[in-house]
Amino acid sequence: MRLKVIASDFKVNIKAWSRSKGTLFWTLAFPVMLILIFGAIFSGVGEVEYELDVQDLDDSEMSHEFIKILEETGVIKVINVSVNEDIMSYIEENNIKRLLVIPEKYGEVIISSFGTNATVDLLFYFDQSEQSSNQVIRSVISNVIQSMNMELSHGRDIIKIEDIPTITEDFDFIDFFIPGMIGFTIMQTCIYGSIERNTKYRKYGILRKLLTTPITRAEWIFSKMLFMMFLSFLSSVIIILVGILVWGITITVDPLMITLMIITISATSFLFSGMGMLIGRFVKEEETADTAGGAISFPMMFLAGTFFPLDQMPEFLQEFARILPLYYVNEGLRNAMIYANQSEALLNSFIVIIFASIFFLAGVLLTKWNED
Amino acid sequence: MIEKNVRCPKCHEIVSFSGEPGERITVTCPKCGAQGKVTFEKLTTDKDFAIEVSHLKKVYGNLIAVNDISFSIKKGDVFAFLGPNGAGKTTTVEMIESIRIPTAGMIKILSKDIRTNFDDVKNDIGVLPQEFHSFERLTVKETLVYFSNLYKKQANVDEIIEAMDLKGNQNQLYTNLSGGLKQRVGVAIALVNDPEIIFLDEPTTGLDPKARREVWNVIAGLKKKGKTIFLTTHYMEEAEYLADHIAIIHKGKIIAEGSLDELLNRYGKGKILYIKRLKTKNVKELLQQKGFEVTSEENGDIAVRITYKEHVIEVLSALRHDCIDYGSIDIKRSNLEEVFLHLTGSKLGEVAS
Repeated sequence: MRLKVIASDFKVNIKAWSRSKGTLFWTLAFPVMLILIFGAIFSGVGEVEYELDVQDLDDSEMSHEFIKILEETGVIKVINVSVNEDIMSYIEENNIKRLLVIPEKYGEVIISSFGTNATVDLLFYFDQSEQSSNQVIRSVISNVIQSMNMELSHGRDIIKIEDIPTITEDFDFIDFFIPGMIGFTIMQTCIYGSIERNTKYRKYGILRKLLTTPITRAEWIFSKMLFMMFLSFLSSVIIILVGILVWGITITVDPLMITLMIITISATSFLFSGMGMLIGRFVKEEETADTAGGAISFPMMFLAGTFFPLDQMPEFLQEFARILPLYYVNEGLRNAMIYANQSEALLNSFIVIIFASIFFLAGVLLTKWNED
Repeated sequence: MIEKNVRCPKCHEIVSFSGEPGERITVTCPKCGAQGKVTFEKLTTDKDFAIEVSHLKKVYGNLIAVNDISFSIKKGDVFAFLGPNGAGKTTTVEMIESIRIPTAGMIKILSKDIRTNFDDVKNDIGVLPQEFHSFERLTVKETLVYFSNLYKKQANVDEIIEAMDLKGNQNQLYTNLSGGLKQRVGVAIALVNDPEIIFLDEPTTGLDPKARREVWNVIAGLKKKGKTIFLTTHYMEEAEYLADHIAIIHKGKIIAEGSLDELLNRYGKGKILYIKRLKTKNVKELLQQKGFEVTSEENGDIAVRITYKEHVIEVLSALRHDCIDYGSIDIKRSNLEEVFLHLTGSKLGEVAS
């Protein structure tokens, strides 16, 4: 392979790409737009009533009164948690984002507080990743407490609030969405890019022309893949930046996780470029091939847990999702970027590599380079 | 000794003569006794050929697209491969360009067998594929630089732009060019490696007459520079205007081959003298009695075959002798259309693909 040829071909790809408003839109602006729109729809902006799980260990008149006041704020909808529940496991099992525990002797302390310096701590468990809504709820609770303290003791903090951060598996929608968006964007870019090269270039005689020049198949594929990876990383970086700057997501900064992310993104480029080649191989007309690309990528986008978690889908669709390569891309990126789940990230990126090898090899081997 | 078939200019009998290569001999027609000279071409060696094709065949299922054809193209010649759509022109040229794999046969480019030496040969050829359409969003100059970078041997891109008269368009995006300019860029791309042999597959299809002329001038210019040009076309005028050597392909077979004059002499009607608006009837019989061949007579117009130039004077003298008056005269040479009609029974434009 000659580096000069590859560099020249790569440069030409970037030039042509950057001059097409359409491709620029689809590879860069479209994902950003989707993140903004979906982020706004799903991230709880505009939610008027927040659920708050409350475990009332005191079960006294005083504690009932407190809960009543919380509900009367009109912002909080109280869900009672049985006194027998173990709080930590309850939070974990039910993906609880915030929970308030009213301790035993709450009423007693308040009654006795007139003569003593006794105080009582309400325990506020909250999921750190759910910042915006928890802040709203916490400020509602502390307002209630403050006005109660005012009434009871003219300002002495009898009732206090103790914050206990928790980490649950359930992240914000946007945390879920950003990695999915990366997977989806790479899929679209590579499938359509590859289809274009295999149908339009064939129709226009560019492939025939190249066959008569000294560029080798390896050089051609290599520079195309370099270009596809360039696009994939560019859109990933932009999507992550928008996620951080607009939606405040936090991504894992860990050498292994970042490496796994890079590996998954690269493998994904190969995977879907290979898939595009296969589509272009069997559906020769450019427009039909684009439609075929859409017919394959759009259902995959919805079914592979790109925009919403699989467990919101019926069982049989969840099973189906597990044969879709995009599912593993999304999961791999999520586990590496957001959840920092090493074993899952490793497993998923490994599966993506296997899919990538199969599709890319099949694409290269089955693509007809010569004419019949 | 080599053998040569010659058509007698007087009685049209085809006669076979033999002689040594390079020899020019005086011969006599055994039928009518007319005398003339016959030249036997020098034998060409392998090295004189840019392209040699022998027994080339391409079969798709039941369809024989190219049926055992053989031909050779001399260096520096413009070779026109003429035939209707679907005759097998592109299949043949794409086999020579190694884009398609032949079912059988042998192809040599510059004496190198392309089956084993094509990577080598790629540097010696420049190709404009049929219906070629380059990268839309690159400028003319960027396009040429891109293709030039693929080769080890590179021609000067600016010189090509100059020579192809593309200077004013070099910074325009390919997609914004007119059809004629696009084809000129296509030809320019075929020149980036300064090739010995240039393949132009239907370079003027779809162009208006002016743009077609421009491309013809470009091709004529390349010929002047000594390039060998393999031109496929279904336009007879194009072959007539540009080609040194023409092969007519029909249904996968070469049905005639030679220089334009050879083809016209062998298969055409030769030259025809048209005498229009004759004032007298029965001129046909009169001329036939005097030994002229009248090919048609209608509405007072008459057509007489001219086999050598003195014929014109003889015919006109005969008319004058009998005091036959006429409106005007016109001499037309037969064309490739006629040759094609003669060979296939159909017109070039009418053959379905």
